[in-house]
Amino acid sequence: MAYQVLARKWRPLNFAQLVGQEHVIKALANAFANGRLHHAYLLTGTRGVGKTTIARIMAKALNCETGVTAEPCGVCSACTQIDAGRFVDLLEIDAASNTGIDNIREVLDNAQYAPTVGRFKVYIIDEVHMLSKSAFNAMLKTLEEPPGHVKFILATTDPQKMPITVLSRCLQFSLRQMTPQQVAGHLQKVLDAEQIPFEAGALPVLGHAANGSMRDALSLLDQAIAYGAGQVEESGVRAMLGAVDQSYLFEILAALVAKDGQALMKAAAGIAERGLSYEAALHELAHLLHQVAVAQAVPGALADDLPQRPQIVAVAQALAPEDSQLYYQIALHGRRDLPLAPDEYAGFTMTLLRMLAFAPATPGQIRLAPAGEPATMAPQAPPVPPVAQPAPAMPASSSVAPAPVASPVIAPVAPAPVKAEPAQAMPKEPAPWEEAASDATPPKAAIEPPPPEVEPEPVWSEPAPEPAERLYVPPGPAAMPEEEPEPALPAAPPEFDGDWRALVVQLKLGAAGMLAQHAELVEFQSDRFIFRVAEAHKAVATRDYQEKLRGALTDHFGRPIQVEVALGEATGDTPAAIALREKHARQQAAEATIQNDPFVQALVRDLGATVVPDSIRPL
Amino acid sequence: MNGLTLYPWQQTTWDALLAGTARMPHALLLTGEAGIGKRRFAERLAAWFLCEAPGKTSEPCGVCESCRWFAAGNHPDYRVLAPGDDADEEEEGTKAKRRFPTIGVDDVRELNDFVNLTSHRGGARVTVVYPAESLNLAAANALLKTLEEPPAGAQFILVAHHWRRLLPTIRSRCRIFPLPMPEHRAAAAWLAQHGVVDPELHLHHSGGAPLAALEDAGADWLGTRRALLEHLANPGALDVLAVAGELEKSKLDAALVIAWLQKWVYDLVSMGLAGVVRYYPDCKDDLTRLSVRAPQLLKYAERLLEAQRLAHHPLNLRLVYETLLNDYVAAFRKGR
Repeated sequence: MAYQVLARKWRPLNFAQLVGQEHVIKALANAFANGRLHHAYLLTGTRGVGKTTIARIMAKALNCETGVTAEPCGVCSACTQIDAGRFVDLLEIDAASNTGIDNIREVLDNAQYAPTVGRFKVYIIDEVHMLSKSAFNAMLKTLEEPPGHVKFILATTDPQKMPITVLSRCLQFSLRQMTPQQVAGHLQKVLDAEQIPFEAGALPVLGHAANGSMRDALSLLDQAIAYGAGQVEESGVRAMLGAVDQSYLFEILAALVAKDGQALMKAAAGIAERGLSYEAALHELAHLLHQVAVAQAVPGALADDLPQRPQIVAVAQALAPEDSQLYYQIALHGRRDLPLAPDEYAGFTMTLLRMLAFAPATPGQIRLAPAGEPATMAPQAPPVPPVAQPAPAMPASSSVAPAPVASPVIAPVAPAPVKAEPAQAMPKEPAPWEEAASDATPPKAAIEPPPPEVEPEPVWSEPAPEPAERLYVPPGPAAMPEEEPEPALPAAPPEFDGDWRALVVQLKLGAAGMLAQHAELVEFQSDRFIFRVAEAHKAVATRDYQEKLRGALTDHFGRPIQVEVALGEATGDTPAAIALREKHARQQAAEATIQNDPFVQALVRDLGATVVPDSIRPL
Repeated sequence: MNGLTLYPWQQTTWDALLAGTARMPHALLLTGEAGIGKRRFAERLAAWFLCEAPGKTSEPCGVCESCRWFAAGNHPDYRVLAPGDDADEEEEGTKAKRRFPTIGVDDVRELNDFVNLTSHRGGARVTVVYPAESLNLAAANALLKTLEEPPAGAQFILVAHHWRRLLPTIRSRCRIFPLPMPEHRAAAAWLAQHGVVDPELHLHHSGGAPLAALEDAGADWLGTRRALLEHLANPGALDVLAVAGELEKSKLDAALVIAWLQKWVYDLVSMGLAGVVRYYPDCKDDLTRLSVRAPQLLKYAERLLEAQRLAHHPLNLRLVYETLLNDYVAAFRKGR
């Protein structure tokens, strides 16, 4: 096995050979040239950007027989020995295997002795994030003030795992990811030197696939050379990477637009048959959706020379903007969840099905919402939160207030047909409600129970027969009464419709308001109101208050009105009792919202947080 | 154990890999779905690396001393790094401990000796890590340095069912070699040869992987799954506590049970939205009946992903199952 993989064979041996990382090299080179040496360096960056490589070059620069230099000669015995990995004063420690305090102690105990042959004793501690806490702490004193002949070079992919006390003692350099261009350029050099024929088009593809890491790129190049039997061809590289032909993606998008589940699965099967990578497919799909979203939001921003431009524009027109946002989000999540699916095909198709399931109803569907139905269906409507699950992903709810109001009202319409489930209604909701708000009457008609009156009034205030319905009234409407009745006041002459509670709000009562709040309207005629007050509240039923109430009613209706108050066992229909019930219902809804909120759940689950139930207040 | 023959569907893949012997890397990562014969492939590859036949072709000869040692299962230059073999055997007598299928850091440290010393027979030293994603975090990190620059002659073959679960630092050090899913027909024919009565059905259960299907046909947990699916088919009458108790008693790997649930939910959703059943065609009637509620299960599917992520955490399995089943029932109840 004399063959060495390209990543090892082409490990740079001096700063000049390094690709990228100019910002680090410049700083280091100047420091070496001026003799301003720090005693502890920390190199961070993702995999394959050159941490270990730079550490070794630094070791050479420090120990080269030509003196401390930014350009180690590479020929002296120190340099050649370091390259061969057998220089006695270079200790390369695999911190991931030697994590314990004893390992570190052993290393540090030897630090005090002078170097054997070199100028400095260089400790390269690789994968340093794996050291145990006590091992880190054992290092602190030595790391802060090591003997003059000791240099530490720490390298890690994960500096967050290191204690700040260590970080603060080191001179930290964070290495950047390589750009695809840098990677492609380096691959070209390697291929030229290796005398392997290649197609220039293949290199950018590899450069992108490497995702910022040179070692990944070289590993892929190895793979590509083997795949192409000694040469690197663009088509071969694409096939090897499982790069997805965009035509499949447009097929998928078309199926999504048409809401055709079977076509969707067929397109997915097409990808499976070609042996393409599902991850790449989701990645590309997200990319495509991004372009679609760009085309929708900033039509001019799409490059004119994009080969799929017409298709993208077509999709952009067929898809609602919030849909493309939602799909984009789902694609991203799907990619993250791919490793956890039973198999990749399932993970991929599940993501597509999710897109299909959350496809919003078309505006037409929602406007069809029949007027009478919601009243009967409302009790069945699920409390908002479960449906609202994808809410954070959705930019759709432009204003906060309308969203919660609309969802339970619209939702009941949906469950009937298979394809239109509650979730469907989500993104589009604000539209009907906003419209509704602009012309006052129709929404009322839609929401009120069968015997409707034209006069606008809050949804919840009718003395409806079904208490369940009130129970499910969402928190939202609380905001409405202030706004709603007002437009009505000047226009409609005050004609009473039996809604005592709404009337109470409009009356100017002062202290007599207490009587009004605790009174249940038993009967009313045009000039006569009969109330019943519970025994428990008879204190408020004084003659004085009754007199004031009569006056207020007379003022309000502009004609003399008689008020009779009887004591009795009041049922729950006094304004105060209704308000109490509503408050309770809202409290419950708020608690349910909190309990079902994915973020809160995550907190509870992952961080052991607890929700203090009493602290939840409805908005 | 005989690592010297391939499954019939692997020959072309083998040829493709061995075409580039001159550029064989020191670390190969074989990827593919579970149950398609990756392990056999890796073993044969190891045998090939170790084969000492003078005119070495692209097959292990099977007659040289090294090949015979290998076939006997005690080649000194061959190591398999697999989750908890030896340590558990000692414990098993004392207490029926739940086994976590991970490779610990000690196993990897032990490996360092093997890799850094010269080989017994002067040839290659081969290490097979199976499956690579069962390396725990510390173990994976401990392997990094060795994997990057092993001494001459050391050879690594990593096998991964889910290579995305590997550390990116591990992945970047290996050359990835994907093994394809065998063709449906070839797999079915092979299963039929091995006396499986209904190869199609079992292939469906395993998503098309023949070895998994073979296990599926003969596993002792078949009854458990059967029962679970029947319970799932009747969410209205599902006795969560009893079923969870049963599952916990069966001492199955949580990941397996969660995968059953995932497949079931996948089928439900897929049936409801696209009219296709992938895993359980034998339950199609139940699936069709329940699939009306498919959209409500999407949230639950996400819940299962979360559970799968935590499948190997030391959680109380009974509680895990109870939660999952409760959520399942709740997902159905929600819409009513």
